Amino acid sequence: MISQFYILSSRGDVIIRKDYLGDVPRTSSETFFRNAKFWKEGDGEAPPVFNVDGVTYLHIKEGGVQLVATTRTNLSPSFVLEFLRRICTIVKDYCGFLSEDAIRKNVVLIYELLDEVVDYGFPQSTATEALKQFVVNEPIVVPPAFYQAKPLFSLSKGPTGVFKSVLETSRTDGKRRDEIFVDVVERITCTFNASGFIASAQVDGAVQIKSYLAGNPPIKIKLNDDLLIGKRDTPYGLDRAAERGHMVVLDDCNFHEVANLENFDVDRTISLVPPDGEFALMNYRTTHGFKPPFRLHATVDADPNSEYKALLTLRLWCEIPAEKASSGLEVEVPTPRWVQRVHCDLDGAGGGAAQNWDFNEKTHLLRWRFKRCPGGSEFTLRARLTLEKPYVPSLRSEVGPVNLRFTIPMYSASRIMLKYLQILKKADKNYNPYRWVRYVTASNSYTFRT
Amino acid sequence: MSDGKYFSTTKRGEIHEFKEELRSLDRPKKKDAVKKVIAAMTVGKDVSMLFPDVVNCMQTDDLELKKLVYLYLINYAKTQPDLAIMAVNTFVKDSQDPNPLIRALAVRTMGCIRVDKITEYLCDPLQRCLKDDDPYVRKTAAICVAKLYDINPELVEDRGFLDMLREMLSDANPMVVANALAALQEIQELAGSGGKDLLQMTSQTLNKLLAALNECTEWGQVFILDSLAAYDTRDPRDAEKIAERVLPRLQHVNSAVVLSAVKVILRCMDVVALGPGGGEETIKTWSKKMAPPLVTLLAAEPEVQYVALRNINLIVQRRPAILANEVKVFFCKYNDPLYVKMEKLEIMIRLASDKNIDQVLLELKEYAQEVDVDFVRKSVRAIGRCAVALEKATERCINVLLELIQTKVSYVVQEAIIVIKDIFRRYPNQYESIIAALCDNLDSLDEPEAKSSMVWIIGEYADRIDNADELLEAFLETFPEETAMVQLQLLTATVKLFLKKPTESAQKMISAVLSCATTETDNPDLRDRAYIYWRLLSTDPEAAKDVVLAEKPVIADDSSTLDPSLLEQLVSRYLATVAAVYHRPPETFVSRQRMAVTLGVAEEANHFTNAPYSSRQEEDGATPGTMVSDNNAAAAAGAAAAAAASSVGDLLDLSDASPVPVPAAAAAGISPAALSQLPVLLANPGGVSVQGRLVRQGGQVVYQLALRNDTLAPVDGLMIQTNRNSFGLSPASQVLVLSTPGGSAIPPGGLAPVRVPLLVDPAKVTPPPLSTALQVALRTNQVGVLYFNDTVPLSALTEEGGTMEAPDFLAAWKVRTHGIRGELPQAQLGSITRL
Repeated sequence: MISQFYILSSRGDVIIRKDYLGDVPRTSSETFFRNAKFWKEGDGEAPPVFNVDGVTYLHIKEGGVQLVATTRTNLSPSFVLEFLRRICTIVKDYCGFLSEDAIRKNVVLIYELLDEVVDYGFPQSTATEALKQFVVNEPIVVPPAFYQAKPLFSLSKGPTGVFKSVLETSRTDGKRRDEIFVDVVERITCTFNASGFIASAQVDGAVQIKSYLAGNPPIKIKLNDDLLIGKRDTPYGLDRAAERGHMVVLDDCNFHEVANLENFDVDRTISLVPPDGEFALMNYRTTHGFKPPFRLHATVDADPNSEYKALLTLRLWCEIPAEKASSGLEVEVPTPRWVQRVHCDLDGAGGGAAQNWDFNEKTHLLRWRFKRCPGGSEFTLRARLTLEKPYVPSLRSEVGPVNLRFTIPMYSASRIMLKYLQILKKADKNYNPYRWVRYVTASNSYTFRT
Repeated sequence: MSDGKYFSTTKRGEIHEFKEELRSLDRPKKKDAVKKVIAAMTVGKDVSMLFPDVVNCMQTDDLELKKLVYLYLINYAKTQPDLAIMAVNTFVKDSQDPNPLIRALAVRTMGCIRVDKITEYLCDPLQRCLKDDDPYVRKTAAICVAKLYDINPELVEDRGFLDMLREMLSDANPMVVANALAALQEIQELAGSGGKDLLQMTSQTLNKLLAALNECTEWGQVFILDSLAAYDTRDPRDAEKIAERVLPRLQHVNSAVVLSAVKVILRCMDVVALGPGGGEETIKTWSKKMAPPLVTLLAAEPEVQYVALRNINLIVQRRPAILANEVKVFFCKYNDPLYVKMEKLEIMIRLASDKNIDQVLLELKEYAQEVDVDFVRKSVRAIGRCAVALEKATERCINVLLELIQTKVSYVVQEAIIVIKDIFRRYPNQYESIIAALCDNLDSLDEPEAKSSMVWIIGEYADRIDNADELLEAFLETFPEETAMVQLQLLTATVKLFLKKPTESAQKMISAVLSCATTETDNPDLRDRAYIYWRLLSTDPEAAKDVVLAEKPVIADDSSTLDPSLLEQLVSRYLATVAAVYHRPPETFVSRQRMAVTLGVAEEANHFTNAPYSSRQEEDGATPGTMVSDNNAAAAAGAAAAAAASSVGDLLDLSDASPVPVPAAAAAGISPAALSQLPVLLANPGGVSVQGRLVRQGGQVVYQLALRNDTLAPVDGLMIQTNRNSFGLSPASQVLVLSTPGGSAIPPGGLAPVRVPLLVDPAKVTPPPLSTALQVALRTNQVGVLYFNDTVPLSALTEEGGTMEAPDFLAAWKVRTHGIRGELPQAQLGSITRL
């Protein structure tokens, strides 16, 4: 099992250290840091599992810290990696936020948690809820120091922007309020070929719940009635229905263990007793019938006036419904090394959307940014490229592939919906905690080839 | 206290403050102090001197304070075992506390104190807790049995704890079942393969485990699934029963559960295949159910993806049908980390078929134009590998490669030429029409591998390329500056050209190359090969044709293909484990052994010197701590063989060898017992006898000598010198420094160990033939000069730096053999020395 566990800061200092089996030397944290930082094979990152001198190191990175486990045995690596992730979640649930600062301020609490979570290298109970009864320390909630506009792109999975320890509910403190957040988070992976058709597309989604309900009342969630799961069980005709938008078809999905799926096949309801803290009630994946939120068309032409110039035109369509908007959009165009300078003209037919561009002469990246990009709008960027050598037609294939990054709030690409969220607490009629249901769709890998 | 305390810590004031606060009667203050101590402990400060003070806080009914003290105890009990015993009474008392939390805490903490003495006190509380009413206590006690086993296995067996664990598998609480199972698995592993089957899996236990599977935590599910996978059944009905219960686990959120479930189902498939009709239908149904969850794993975080991909790589080799239609999901995303992209490429190559090759090639072509050089190279290689694997698609692959060559990006062109060489070797005489396109890019070649590939192509098709002689001539201009790899290829290619087109210019070239390779090079491989060609050509040109132009065997794509038995082992036994990620059997990297129980304070020192670490490696003997042990041995053997075969040049690098740390014991000298075991070099009863051996220590060749003085007078004025020898070994200092107390003289009847570091002195190298003989002269003031002969063991000369990872070794081996296999086996031997 796990021999050691530690949390390292970005500089390699040990913030938390637990030694379980005593068969790996204490200096392993330095060995790890050295190897992970200067990974031998090229300048790529170290793989999450690697072996140095008979010790296997498994590690993940989150919130600016690294969580590492060491072992000398042949255990299941995904077991350990999932477990490290779970520790992150527990820390987030109890300390409100995961960062070096938050960990340092809560060292004793985290040790206390770890003692319950791991015994002799064996993961024990890791449910935030179950851990509550063993915890006597109070959290010191440290909200992130610089939490500003940035997180749109770094959107991690899960309800963002809530920094609150699970220990703060009305049960412990009358002033705290009870609330539950249900987020439908979707990430789009989409590749368009040079002619603008979809080469591959997939939506990975999750229904994330973060619950701060005192007394853990049961809740009930209903999803779309027209939801179909598993293309393997689906007659082929239904695919077309999905294409036309009549059905939401999921290729595969899985559920958290608390989910009671008794009625799921009948009326698409899930009942559960939400444990405290953050968890994914359901993960799903679909490749069917979703409409790509953005389309883009790129052309490269010779400049009739100068052979050392070329014209790059990008046309972008935002195809989400007009009442929605992407908050933040970034178009990234790699250009070949022999492009020296770029000058762009922006022209927004969609009207007045704040947009700007920049060109990095070192990385040869052209960036086109929008603060907000409303649905149904269309934009054009005309760039004049100054070249080192005369224009050749092959320039066209050397520009790109164009990558898009965006976050669209209150929009689900798969059209999965929460029809209702019911809190089933019979005893107390006055109990009416806040319920937050949010949707967000973000790009995972959204690429236009040229 | 001595004055030393003033130097022991600069934070004396702080420690003192802690002490005061710990003794405070005010509870919050006390609590605060313990917290501070723990914080100091975490950042690595040594607060072990506070042990007695902290233990004094232990007897309290404040749970928070108690937990803090326990936390401290676990950390320092190892280094303060005697003091830890003082806490035992409180432990025993706590283990009977009415509060189950405290009972469990006590048992848990006691087990973590790895002190032999504590086991006597641990047994009774443990026995009680295993039967506790509270499941929380029982599950903690179950793990504690594994802890105790690590300290004292006999005790665990004598007290019948193993039977109790097995009983606990029927516990009503799934958490207890999971922990009992985990403890049994752990003990089984510690006992090693020699141990009995502790689990004693019967159909009854099987049913219990299957029943617990649904109720368990996800971690417990993994333990159960792993033991199900280890359950050896031959009965297809059993297998179906297991699979039926395990299939729903594929829907689990936790990727570890999914992968372990996949492992169980693959096992069941093997068993079902033995049944009537080969279970084809069943296997098909299960395969269909396995694909979507496997694909879903790729939506997880990159770390989990990586592990999943490494496992999927094995699965698609063993059961290609499962994911045959899913090649698209393995296409790379632009924001995937490099390690994920590389794994996806591997799987794309494996899943490439005549059906989907167009799609795959389109992707690979895109990747070959990305920014990351390593990824681009690997993508170009992948195109070549598809061509080698799929005959029907070869032409399409070649077209893509040619398009890529048109981009004129240097590393793309070079990589493409390397793989085109492989394609020529797979399909000889089919695609030479493209050579012209390759020849347009000769100027951009600057990497040895690409250059030698191009030279090989020119030599191989010398008769089809009109200006082959001109092309080769251009390469030959820089012959002396090329790397050995290119030189060897140039030599062979020139010979081929000469044999195929014996024109005047070819003749001029061959004589220039041969004379250069035989007289102006210090690379023995090149020289030997040139001599052989020279001999062949001068004795019988026809025979030379038969040898050099002989038909070469067709290659297959076997880079990164695993040995079938290893694959079988990895898939059926080690899927979802670290072994499946490394693609190596666990023996090569698992280095866990039962830890010796610390009986003293030695552990403290261990932390700093790593002593337990190195001593464990020594116990292992041949099993060193690196995961590449086998390969190490192989590489070392290869290097030794190569050295014996020819290579003097490499041995001369000895003095550059980087120092390698050696076990302290060896560096400090040798024990008297070891001295007498050294081979006798000069037996001289009544005079001075010499025993000794050449060894390698710390990256240096060292002569370990033992001089015995059997005369009646002290012997002094000792000096040593070696005669000229093949390796140019010569003492660093001629004057011998004795490490005996007698200083520079050996007393009568005394035995003096001497350590003589040897250096390589180029002036003392004898010309070939190679010999391992070493003549040594020893001068003394009393008995004159003594001469003796010794042989140089090659192990003393080979450098330690030969470690390399197995895939690198294989890759390097392949690269070498590609160009020259079937032509000159000796050159392959020689090439290993550089690895």
